[in-house]
Amino acid sequence: MSSPTRGYLCLVLHCHLPYVRHPEHETFLEENWLYEAISDTYIPLLRVMDGLVHDGIDFRLTMTLSPPLISMLRDPLLISRFERHINKLIELAGKETDRTRFQPELHRVAEMYLDRFVQTRHAFTQQYRYDLVGGFERLQEQGKLEIITCGATHGFLPLLNVVPSAVRGQLRTAVAHYEETFQRPPHGIWLPECGYFPGLDETLRDVGLQFFFTESHGLLYAEPRPRYGLHAPVFCPTGVAAFARDMESSKQVWSAEEGYPGDPAYRDYYRDVGWDLDYDYVKPYIQATGQRMNTGIKYYRITGKTDNKQVYNRAWALERTADHAANFIFNRERQAEWLAPGMDRPPVVVAPYDAELFGHWWFEGPEWIDNLFRKLHGSSHLVEAITPAEYLERHEVNQVCTPCGSSWGANGYHEVWLNGSNDWIYRHLHIASRRMEELTSRFGQADGVILRALKQAGRELVLAQSSDWAFIMKTGTMVDYAVKRTKDHVHRFTRLYEQLLSGNLDFGWLKEIEDKDNIFTNLDYRNFS
Amino acid sequence: MTPQLPDHYGRTEAVLLIVHPLLLFAYWEATPESCRQAHETMGPEMDGARVVLRMYDITLIHFDGTNAHHVFDINVGLEARGWYLPLWTPEKSYCADLGFLARTGRFHTIARSNIIHTPRTMPSGRTDEQWMRVRFERRRKPVGRALEFVAAPGSGGQISAEEQHSQRERLQEDIAASLGEYLAGGIPSSNQGFA
Repeated sequence: MSSPTRGYLCLVLHCHLPYVRHPEHETFLEENWLYEAISDTYIPLLRVMDGLVHDGIDFRLTMTLSPPLISMLRDPLLISRFERHINKLIELAGKETDRTRFQPELHRVAEMYLDRFVQTRHAFTQQYRYDLVGGFERLQEQGKLEIITCGATHGFLPLLNVVPSAVRGQLRTAVAHYEETFQRPPHGIWLPECGYFPGLDETLRDVGLQFFFTESHGLLYAEPRPRYGLHAPVFCPTGVAAFARDMESSKQVWSAEEGYPGDPAYRDYYRDVGWDLDYDYVKPYIQATGQRMNTGIKYYRITGKTDNKQVYNRAWALERTADHAANFIFNRERQAEWLAPGMDRPPVVVAPYDAELFGHWWFEGPEWIDNLFRKLHGSSHLVEAITPAEYLERHEVNQVCTPCGSSWGANGYHEVWLNGSNDWIYRHLHIASRRMEELTSRFGQADGVILRALKQAGRELVLAQSSDWAFIMKTGTMVDYAVKRTKDHVHRFTRLYEQLLSGNLDFGWLKEIEDKDNIFTNLDYRNFS
Repeated sequence: MTPQLPDHYGRTEAVLLIVHPLLLFAYWEATPESCRQAHETMGPEMDGARVVLRMYDITLIHFDGTNAHHVFDINVGLEARGWYLPLWTPEKSYCADLGFLARTGRFHTIARSNIIHTPRTMPSGRTDEQWMRVRFERRRKPVGRALEFVAAPGSGGQISAEEQHSQRERLQEDIAASLGEYLAGGIPSSNQGFA
């Protein structure tokens, strides 16, 4: 070995939320997904990374910012609503410090929340000046963070591919949006739900993407069998590289039972004051309808499999993040030592997670990442953090294989997004995709209101294609919302299609849906040809 | 108000989708015009005819309508409009005809589906190797990148090629052993939405 590095760690965080924005309502429950993710995950991650840079700690992280997420983070209405959200939390936390003043254990936790929310507001308004995307972009420019793209709206490509122009539309729109946002092309992509099918790499190559990720069996079952299994990428016949998820490191972090987030010291997600406290007291902080919901203030630690939860102890929980980071590195070092002798290069361990695991579900997750990179920088000489781009620069020669069709959903294929709860959507999605392609050939050139209608048709199509709706239908919570979103967008698309063909555009209604479904301002409708 | 979507689009078609390597989902629509044509063509033979999905195994062939490896029919009924189709072997290519099957055995196709290729469920038996050098383009779109085939790299130099080979075999076996349980876990529990 010419390099002292025995192994690479490629940590990938997938940041995506479906496009949820309802200007027609003063408050909207599902918009909270974004507000909670901003305060629990995105701002804490940014602060961890900026803290590392500040302290001179070198690190490498790869992160998806999906186009809907970027669009929401830059939307003035949602930005102002997040500010309202964090102000309400500060107000509630203030009341909580007062309410708990004679209960020292709880009081300490209430003060932690108050302090945290105030800091979050300060970070949002002062440090990042309402522009979190800009915060991530600076880290990318500093060479620490690799921001990759995703499908335009996280469409599950293996099931859209019945109409190949739908896949092209998702990918071209995503890449164009990335270029518009960051003034440079993306190097790689997180395929929505890790959904790959053989041949997809041709479209990836055509839009200029150089790597993607698959679930483990995407490479383990590749043809021919890859010499290095999961621990080196392969080139598809098109020259696009495929990296596969490592099973061991995945399990260690996200498994609810065996994984770190289940440690008794960590904060319990489920016990929330929105459910626990007197109704009249929490009423201003729950749903406008008066239904209870999570507020984000949670006093207890996981404790164990018991209803008798102990009060959260922040210092103790933070100590555990250091232990768990050390344990993760220890395991990666052993893995590298075991794998390296059989390879002509350091093995790479690809560890991808949903970003919202860190901070939202696993409250201490961002601190775990902080500890991980500090320890890697300080004491581990065996494992080096790397991005896929750096790997491919260092290792230009890779084996040629065709990965196997796969996803990271339960059982590894398509059943999460195609089953009795959601199979009805595909008939509508496919016909709409065909019709969009037809519109691109009928309207080779367009301007004025026709152009606006064509662009809006493209927006409605991609919004209908979000895999999130099928996923929610399968999981069984908030199903009505997912059904409504699917039907609304297909219906709006169909009406636009019919109006474009008949030449009778309803201008007033077009303006209305342009304001509602305002993603991809500069969408090129010819992306769907 | 949630709008109602159309029951019919006025388009005769049959579509196959992959659920997993051993399960397909098919949906279809047949316009009244297609059914009328079927009646016209089949004449009295339509009496008692069943609606079936005729499945063709067309793995690794250029299908001309007659050369399938294997053909089987699944009774469906037009009104169902969607059906789950269990299979017994992964890694196959299929297409399907939706049509009327007369008691006489005569078959009239209403619509031919797309072609699907079901995924593999185990490591490939092929172990031949091809290696390629591809230049990574930083901050630029790779346009017409040269793909240069090169010799397979040698061993890492620490252990013999034979030892490497047997280590890799062990590794693959270890991984294969734990893969089933792992995959059943599915995507991270965090991806449960924010509800």
